[in-house]
Amino acid sequence: MLEKIKNNFNTQTWVLIPIAIAINIAIGQIVVLLKLPVYLDSIGTVLVAVLCGPWAGALTGALSNIIWGLAVDPNALPWWPVAFFIGYVAGRMAQWGFFKEWWKVVVTGFAVALTAAIVSTPIAVYLYGGITASGSSFITAYLMQTGTGMVQAVLSTGFLVEPVDKITTAMLAFAIILGLPKRMIGGYPKPEQVEVSGGASKNQMYIAIGVVVLLVLFAAFMLRNILGG
Amino acid sequence: MHERLSFHMKRNSVIHRLNPLTKLVLILALILISFTSPWYWTPHFVLLLAIIPLSALGGVFPEFFKTATRLILPAASFLFLMQAFFQPIGEDVIFKFYFLDITQESLMFAFRNAMRVFVMVSAFTLFLLTTHPSELMSDLTRRGLPPQFAYVIISTLQILPQMQAKAQTIIAAQRSRGLDTESTFFKRAGSVVPLVGPLVFGSLVEVEERAIAIEARGFTSKHSKTSLHEIPDPSFDKVIRWVLLALVILSIAANLWLA
Repeated sequence: MLEKIKNNFNTQTWVLIPIAIAINIAIGQIVVLLKLPVYLDSIGTVLVAVLCGPWAGALTGALSNIIWGLAVDPNALPWWPVAFFIGYVAGRMAQWGFFKEWWKVVVTGFAVALTAAIVSTPIAVYLYGGITASGSSFITAYLMQTGTGMVQAVLSTGFLVEPVDKITTAMLAFAIILGLPKRMIGGYPKPEQVEVSGGASKNQMYIAIGVVVLLVLFAAFMLRNILGG
Repeated sequence: MHERLSFHMKRNSVIHRLNPLTKLVLILALILISFTSPWYWTPHFVLLLAIIPLSALGGVFPEFFKTATRLILPAASFLFLMQAFFQPIGEDVIFKFYFLDITQESLMFAFRNAMRVFVMVSAFTLFLLTTHPSELMSDLTRRGLPPQFAYVIISTLQILPQMQAKAQTIIAAQRSRGLDTESTFFKRAGSVVPLVGPLVFGSLVEVEERAIAIEARGFTSKHSKTSLHEIPDPSFDKVIRWVLLALVILSIAANLWLA
């Protein structure tokens, strides 16, 4: 176990982690500036998870939220376990070979989204009584008003909101890795996890984007159904 | 060279002179007590009787007040309003607005929850205002935290402002070349890649060089390192830490016992 954790960390990992955390925060702020309905604040975490392993990803995620809380906005602090599991799951998925083709990357993004929704539920419920200070809480509040239990309301909001964000995050991270020269990937602990298996063509990317757009439309449809019913 | 990013205010006060670990234990204890104590008004009293006086004692009250009103109060008030309106508890409706109703129970519930979050965030703010990050890290490293963690935290605090400045430069450069960052949704979504790409690739290029540089300075050496600054840890600090721990246990016990 300890050996497995240790093999995630070489000097390049330790150097990449601070840069990845800064990437998380800087991109998170760019996205706020562009007024897009996503966060995209874990691209760096996913990069570390994929290149170095699940434990390095988990550490990056947790520290990222802690530093975000300490240096930028203290309200980010209590959510560090969510970021921890985002990094861990992304790393595990990459270990199982789910970061080599576009459609697999979409699956990874989806798995990360489900994890994020599940892990953030107890924090939202116990710390904030279900309704947090984020915009998506309006959906939770609505569900609770219509008689849904608190845990179900928080969980279904998470399932609706997270997939778009996390699939986009995973796809951007994959695009970044495809763009890096091979020489720069070789120094990290797990370069073999991103050896693209011939399927990274432009066509595949368009298909993957199409699938994501369909998923988004489906989520929007479900959302309207829930809010309408 | 950019300024290192931190809230820290250099003062010479009792709070500043406390051992960093004592301060960390202190704020964690205040947070745990305000979340676990069974008495309704605990978080309010923790804020009024502990956090605000401590910030005055530390000579950082103006900065504390500024951060609290600028960062914490908006989030806490939003939380309060959301919870007061949307918590479907209680019968005794005291205010009605279309389908939204505020009951006495939901108002009390919202007030306590918002206060707890306020205490949590303001306690951390107090800690950051009175503790220098590298002081905390070298104290924790001396107590057995792996030095790599200290490297990650401290260098993130250095890299972050540089990265934010770089992001601003990239945004300005791409705008001057005609990138649309303000109009329709699809234009804005499309401008993510030209902004994120240069930022990420530009930073990842540095990784290998940095790794070689810190390797050359004995980063992975197993020998224990000496420190230029000795951080004092008088027995007074140890007593405070044990007292705080006892208070937390008492609060949790009271919570379990009364539940």
